[in-house]
Amino acid sequence: MQHDGLGAGVFGRRAALGAGLGLATLPLLGSAALAQKRFAGREIVATAFGGSSQTLIQQMVYDRIEAETGAKGTQTPLLSAQAFARMRAEAQAPQIDLFMFSGGQEGPAKAGGLTQPLPAAPNFANVPAALKDPDGHWIAWGLVTEGILYRTDKITTPPTSYRDFFKPEYEGHIAFPHVTNGYGTDFLVMLARAFGGSEENIGPGFEAMKRISGRANIFRSAAEVQTLFASGDIWIMPYDGASAMRSSAQGIPVGYSVPEEGAPFVLLTGCVAKRSRNADIASAVLDAHLDPAVQAAIAAQVGWAPVNTATQLPADVAPFMAPTSKLAEFNRDVINAARPAWTERFSREIATR
Amino acid sequence: MSRSGRGLVAAGLLAPAALLFAILFVWPQLGLFAQSVTQPAPFGLAAYERFLGDAYYLGVLGNSLALGGCVTVVTLLLGFPLALLLARMESRWAGLLLLLTTFPLWVSAVVRSFAWMVLFFRAGVASRLLQGTGLVASDYQLLGSFTGVVIALAQVLLPIMIVTLYAVIRGIDRDLEDAAMSLGAAPSVAMWLVTLRLARGGVLAGSLLVFSLSVSAFATPSLVGGARAHFMAVTIYEQTLELLDWPFASAISAILLAIALVVALSYGRLLGDNDGAAR
Repeated sequence: MQHDGLGAGVFGRRAALGAGLGLATLPLLGSAALAQKRFAGREIVATAFGGSSQTLIQQMVYDRIEAETGAKGTQTPLLSAQAFARMRAEAQAPQIDLFMFSGGQEGPAKAGGLTQPLPAAPNFANVPAALKDPDGHWIAWGLVTEGILYRTDKITTPPTSYRDFFKPEYEGHIAFPHVTNGYGTDFLVMLARAFGGSEENIGPGFEAMKRISGRANIFRSAAEVQTLFASGDIWIMPYDGASAMRSSAQGIPVGYSVPEEGAPFVLLTGCVAKRSRNADIASAVLDAHLDPAVQAAIAAQVGWAPVNTATQLPADVAPFMAPTSKLAEFNRDVINAARPAWTERFSREIATR
Repeated sequence: MSRSGRGLVAAGLLAPAALLFAILFVWPQLGLFAQSVTQPAPFGLAAYERFLGDAYYLGVLGNSLALGGCVTVVTLLLGFPLALLLARMESRWAGLLLLLTTFPLWVSAVVRSFAWMVLFFRAGVASRLLQGTGLVASDYQLLGSFTGVVIALAQVLLPIMIVTLYAVIRGIDRDLEDAAMSLGAAPSVAMWLVTLRLARGGVLAGSLLVFSLSVSAFATPSLVGGARAHFMAVTIYEQTLELLDWPFASAISAILLAIALVVALSYGRLLGDNDGAAR
């Protein structure tokens, strides 16, 4: 999947804020640190998504685990598909213990017998059942939540539904991503659902998209989102909340709204290689990811929504994230199988002159 | 030096470039071609049939060729007078001015495309100017249009045309023009009969460079053209990285290469450049 939201940007001001939060969590560790260092002398290797998220997680998760338990953590930036390839290739002798995925690879990993159950940890209980494996092989620790982005100065009544894209006053001011962009696929599916279809019956989605595509701006990459909004010409588009947060941090008035049909999402999950001997450390690492303070810091700095329902988001961050109760579940197997056909149909019927 | 000795020297001088070309272009190209004939396995031409039997893909090919043609014509029309002016300039600023014309090449394709996008939006300066002429609808935008891609590509490829033409025009003896005029030719006739004919090699070389760079351009068509502009390079990218249909992508790139070669060869013929005058 080509969801673009993971190349998260760096916000100077927010980074400073996050560092403050990082320090604030340290006193919370006191009680655990009193115990014997339970993983003293051990090491864990994990994949990561790179960029500012990796730096933040190093500070707030791995440094903390090391101080608390004595286990040293190393993060290797790897794209999900590559990480999954490594996981398969090294199934017999894993060099990496903990794998982080953003493309749904945890499902095939478990089905392929590449994972092992994670020892339970306190914060796991606060993650909704749909966002963790019933057998405990993987658990989500973050979300990229999609929805409707709009210029708050041009659109005063926040959009509430994918059907709002068909309001006549927005004609000529709509943009949406190409179907080869993950968010573009999700938009197509949500349109289908809004007009009586589904991922299995995509026809209504294409019919609806055709009605707005004539005068809409169809774009390919996440980098274009800000340019489009900054032009003043584009008022509304389907994308992720983190992009709205980034735009508004740059002074472009962009809001995010969770449509009543639900928010499509990308799940960020962790799972442990079957033959890894560090499942206990991995469990502690994921538990630390799920710490409400860490969840809030990740949300504020990187834009990934929390999955721990006990998390309190800062007031300037919460409006850019969908709560876990408003998510729209997709059948990704059906979508992935249909992708080539949809792309071809999109080129012929939607992205025309 | 004996004839065979000279041949040996020539071979020696050619060898490094030829070797590099063989390893970095011919060999991967053969691999690509091999992959394009694997559907249905082990040997089949289904990928080619799919492309050539489909009006949509033929349209994509047509777009790319039209883009190459338009950009070549535009850069030639804009570049020739400029190159002539620069080559004939008797000023010490000539070198600096030539350097100035190459500035577009110094900016990354992505940055340059984003700049054009800002101008090409419906409310952007370039689109506004066009709307003001009344020739297009009041909500027309250059972004996502074929014209927009031609403008953006012509801007970056113009320096290549100018520099190529400049080198050739510099080599033309001005006395030949003067001789033509002293024999009664009007300046325009002298220009046509002497200068332009002698610069033919430069026109050919510049056009081929610009044409091949435009038909294979990716970043500018994909950003400025957006989703609605269907070009070969963008289609190859989509099939390779997004749909992972490598045999089909290889077939498309083989077709693009073959057609570009044919166009280049016939263009050379058309210009009648059989004396290899690209000086």
